[in-house]
Amino acid sequence: MSRELANGIFSAVTWIAMGLCGLILIFLLAVMIWNGIRAVDFEFLFTASRNFGAGGGIFYQMIGSLLLILFAALICFPLALGTAIFKSEYLKSARVQRLCAVLVYGLNGVPSVIFGIFGLVFFVNVLGTGISWFVGSIILAMMILPTVVLATYHSINSIPEIYRESALALGLNKWQVIAKVLLPQGIGGAITGLFLGLARAVGETAPIMFIATAFTGVEIPGSFFEPVTALPTHILALAQQAINEQALQNAWGASFVLICLVTVFSALGLWSRKKLKTVGLR
Amino acid sequence: MTHSTRLRIVQPGILPEAAPAVNLEDFHVWFGEAHILRGIDVGLQEYRINCIVGPSGSGKSTLIRSINRMNDEAADYSFKGAIYVNGENILDKSVNVARLRTVIGMVFQKPCVFPKSVSENVLFGIQHLKKLSRQEKLQIVEDHLKSTYLWKEVSHRLHDNAVSLSIGQQQRLCIARALAVKPKVILLDEPTSSLDPVSTRAIEDLMLELKQKYTIVFVTHNIQQAQRVADHLIFMCNGRIIEQGTKQKLFSTPEKDQTRKYLNEEYCDCE
Repeated sequence: MSRELANGIFSAVTWIAMGLCGLILIFLLAVMIWNGIRAVDFEFLFTASRNFGAGGGIFYQMIGSLLLILFAALICFPLALGTAIFKSEYLKSARVQRLCAVLVYGLNGVPSVIFGIFGLVFFVNVLGTGISWFVGSIILAMMILPTVVLATYHSINSIPEIYRESALALGLNKWQVIAKVLLPQGIGGAITGLFLGLARAVGETAPIMFIATAFTGVEIPGSFFEPVTALPTHILALAQQAINEQALQNAWGASFVLICLVTVFSALGLWSRKKLKTVGLR
Repeated sequence: MTHSTRLRIVQPGILPEAAPAVNLEDFHVWFGEAHILRGIDVGLQEYRINCIVGPSGSGKSTLIRSINRMNDEAADYSFKGAIYVNGENILDKSVNVARLRTVIGMVFQKPCVFPKSVSENVLFGIQHLKKLSRQEKLQIVEDHLKSTYLWKEVSHRLHDNAVSLSIGQQQRLCIARALAVKPKVILLDEPTSSLDPVSTRAIEDLMLELKQKYTIVFVTHNIQQAQRVADHLIFMCNGRIIEQGTKQKLFSTPEKDQTRKYLNEEYCDCE
């Protein structure tokens, strides 16, 4: 085979691979938009579901999903920031560094349903919290922790050493160097990581279905230990009664709204990477 | 050295009025297994430019970074010996390192301004040490930009980002920032090696001015520069001090062949 032919075949294969990837995404989104957009109107977005989801809208499902990830963010962010700062600034031993990296990647590799089972066993059964949206937030926070830790770590660790040394040489202590030099420059990466983590968390079904959500009869929770109803678990429940045309239609509508939420968080992540990277410069 | 002249870095608030001498006694440094400094005995004189020269890898930077304990941050750093500043061993465990660094300031090879305004950069160190009124802040910024001959160039752009200054201006801003903390000793680790000749000259003139008030320790690999600015010259090679003395003595009548060869030919065979 001539070199030109091999070269041509290789580039054709890479083009086809990329084309297929793009087509899969376009096909998925097209089906979602085509079917979903017809279900979505003002009433669908702002009314409660009726008739086991076959009627009404998804207002409380949206509120539930947003509540779950808002608290997941509040729990996850300080933990991730602390872990990343510890890993980047305090851990000196290369061996412990490697161990820490393995643990973080390991946590990232745990299937999401396992988080759900853990939440069920530990929080709901052992601690006796009952089905609680707050437990759902804790579990989602644990699930996205590695994503946010790694993004924050890379963002802080990539700040050149000379910035640390310059600040130390002026008599700042370690905490002041972290607070005044590293965080202002590294926080953009942390926020990007958080948004990307939330984009994943908002679409997760398995971790919350046993511990945080109920299908019907739930509105805005009055305490930390009540269930909510959320978009992904609502879609799952509607899909199970797909024989009902109206329920299927609403499942498409809810899926469309969920994809929109994921897109918004991903876009916020990209935006924050661009805008906040140089937060100290302004 | 009498007890009363001690630096008392451990006790906040009591600092010497005069610039102190710095004495290293049988000082060794290791990074892991590598023995970088091997028994350094040297007296760095007050109100002088103490210039350390030597080939790459001779341990000049390690030596100067030991004086404000920057090496403490390295993972596998270990040392033996003592460094006395006005009679107090600054390597003692009880010394507050952050406080020590306000007495012994440092300027690095590569200018590193923080991505903040010019004024904020001047105030960066000092404002973490004490509360300053608006008036005091303005005064500190003006005084230190004047003392580093930057005031004329940047007085109309104090609120601009310091990153927009030229590299030479950035390095003088780094010196202003270090001076604002009111140190007594200033360590300069090859401060002109990334600068153009005009900026280099400006910093050399500044050093000659600064020695009136401070003890200056200056590392360079540029022998002509050492000849221009040094008072006390220290020649290092392979982690040891080969020879030290006045600039005149080392350049005209060195005791060691290695010193003469290095100062004349920039070549050293002490390995």
